[in-house]
Amino acid sequence: MSDLERRLQSLGGEIAYPPTPRFDVSFDRRPVRTGRLRPLALGVAILLAVLAGVLALSPGARSAFLEIFDLRGATVERVEQLPPVEVQTVDFGERVSRDEAERRLGFELLDLGEPDAIFARGDRVATLVYGPVEKPRLVLSQLNGAVWDGFAKKAAGGGTRIEPVEVNGERGLFISGDEHYVMYLDENLDIADDVTYLAGTVLLWNRGPLLLRLEGELTRDDALELAESVE
Amino acid sequence: MSRPPTEDELVERARGGDAAAFAALVRDHEEIAFRTAYLIARNAADAEDAAQVGLTKAWRALPRFRRGAPFRPWLLAIVANEARNRRRAAGRREGLALRASYELPSGDAAPSPEGRALAAEARAELVAALEQLSEDDRTVLSCRYLLDLGEEETAQVLSLRRGTVKSRTFRAFGRLREQLGETS
Repeated sequence: MSDLERRLQSLGGEIAYPPTPRFDVSFDRRPVRTGRLRPLALGVAILLAVLAGVLALSPGARSAFLEIFDLRGATVERVEQLPPVEVQTVDFGERVSRDEAERRLGFELLDLGEPDAIFARGDRVATLVYGPVEKPRLVLSQLNGAVWDGFAKKAAGGGTRIEPVEVNGERGLFISGDEHYVMYLDENLDIADDVTYLAGTVLLWNRGPLLLRLEGELTRDDALELAESVE
Repeated sequence: MSRPPTEDELVERARGGDAAAFAALVRDHEEIAFRTAYLIARNAADAEDAAQVGLTKAWRALPRFRRGAPFRPWLLAIVANEARNRRRAAGRREGLALRASYELPSGDAAPSPEGRALAAEARAELVAALEQLSEDDRTVLSCRYLLDLGEEETAQVLSLRRGTVKSRTFRAFGRLREQLGETS
């Protein structure tokens, strides 16, 4: 250790920090998640036409969990019936520079090469788009899964396959087949009303504290190969 | 006499919804959580808010916590993120203050009044140089040295790769030396 390192370390003990407050940790016992969704406020254009013939929805329907897969930053659930939410077109958020996205999210973005566009949704999710923004070839989203359970995904019936996979030794899920819902969770782990959309083939995986999500027309092997090349 | 529960046992109980187990976990880490928040937000009120919100989020997110993973960096990462958000929003910053009394490392002879004054001056210079660094540089040095977190833990807390922590620390030291007028 250099002299400067020693001086800095010693300084750590000399800082007059404000007194540590007594934090309120008198939380109630955490409610067990029952799989019931609170009624979602309506307010965006309904794209039920997209769903017609694909999903049997009924207002007020609730569905039980059939399978739950947890990753850091995401929960994927197979349910008996998809919840009655309004589906939007995909909105990646605000188009920003890489520096701005990294500044907002507080970590360095990983990529598959230089993307055609970068978007940030608040300070939670960054999305790298490859190909035309209107019709991307690949979409790579990332968030800090240690900080935020960002995604909930819901798939109904046997038409959507959910396969546990490994990417560089870490856990992941490959979701293919029928489209599934993608929802964002707010800080109370409730579904954010304004962001629900349909997704196709997706690979979700953890990398350290990060959750990465790759979406595109990909086979499982192609998706895994791409995921392992993310740097 | 029964032994106190280990951290892993407390985490497991807290994951199952045991709020008392979570409170016991937090008591062990609340000081470093608050100090982490303070070094990032640089404002006592924001740091308190960031730590409190971070603890609440951690409680809610605990079912997603990976079994067997170290609890402290996970908690500190949540708090650090909250602190960064507040710092960006607030824009105001308190300077680091040093304690009035300087405790000598054990075994050191008591310095003369002049020696004491020189040491105090050197510490003040170091603080001033640290304050001149960019937020990224200052944060990584704060985690590594002021909070005495390891490289891996710093990487987790700041959501960086370990190699990035290493290179950023190296570069930050170079810039700190420049501020101090030292050559590397």
